[in-house]
Amino acid sequence: MKNASFWRCAAAGAAAGFVNGFFGAGGGMVLVPLLIRLAGLDDRDAFASAVAVILPLCAVSIAMYALHAALPAREALPYLLGGAGGGVLAGLLFQKVPVRFLHLGLGALIVYGGLRLILC
Amino acid sequence: MLSFWLAAAAGLLCGVLSGFGVGGGTLLMVWMTVALSLEQKLAQGVNLLFFLPTAAAALVFHAKRRRVVWRAVLPAVLFGCLTAALGAALALGVASALLRKLFGAFLIPVGLSELWRGLRRESGKKEA
Repeated sequence: MKNASFWRCAAAGAAAGFVNGFFGAGGGMVLVPLLIRLAGLDDRDAFASAVAVILPLCAVSIAMYALHAALPAREALPYLLGGAGGGVLAGLLFQKVPVRFLHLGLGALIVYGGLRLILC
Repeated sequence: MLSFWLAAAAGLLCGVLSGFGVGGGTLLMVWMTVALSLEQKLAQGVNLLFFLPTAAAALVFHAKRRRVVWRAVLPAVLFGCLTAALGAALALGVASALLRKLFGAFLIPVGLSELWRGLRRESGKKEA
């Protein structure tokens, strides 16, 4: 955490904010590596801190969607319920999870999804 | 009713990832847009809402364990809020079909870097 300077963290947050607002997702994927490489945070601290950063960023993006009446509250409800449970589980499991397989599984799924979205 | 529980299950699974700080929202987007063929902007709205309870729940634990580096979080939030508003405003002006392709193009390098990180990391060598 030696060089977690104000401007490095600000730049990391700005990049994550833009991606998260534009795509409605992916802020953490951008933020975590930047917090580790640019700001020098420990890996596990970077993951936890990213959650704290993305939460208000989502709130801001949601406000923009709400202004345009583009907020699908009813469709979102079951995901919110499941998500709250998942968040608690994540909090409980956070210290124990072997991240290596997480990276591999997640990476494969995401590449597959990207190809599908572009090609079909 | 089945689709309700399926959605809740997807939320739960992705919620665990989101609570870890990375990938949950992206995975949920892939689920909604690729598997369910939801319209891109609708899925983005759902995904943003999804993150609120999910992150709030996980954050309680992270903060209690003093894993959150507030000194880094504060400037990131300050500037991130500006760009988050900008990004959302831009997205709302872009056609869903184009946004879908752009999102696909964003996912491929992100996914590849995830794969790379998983392959490179010797288990137990460095914590993440």
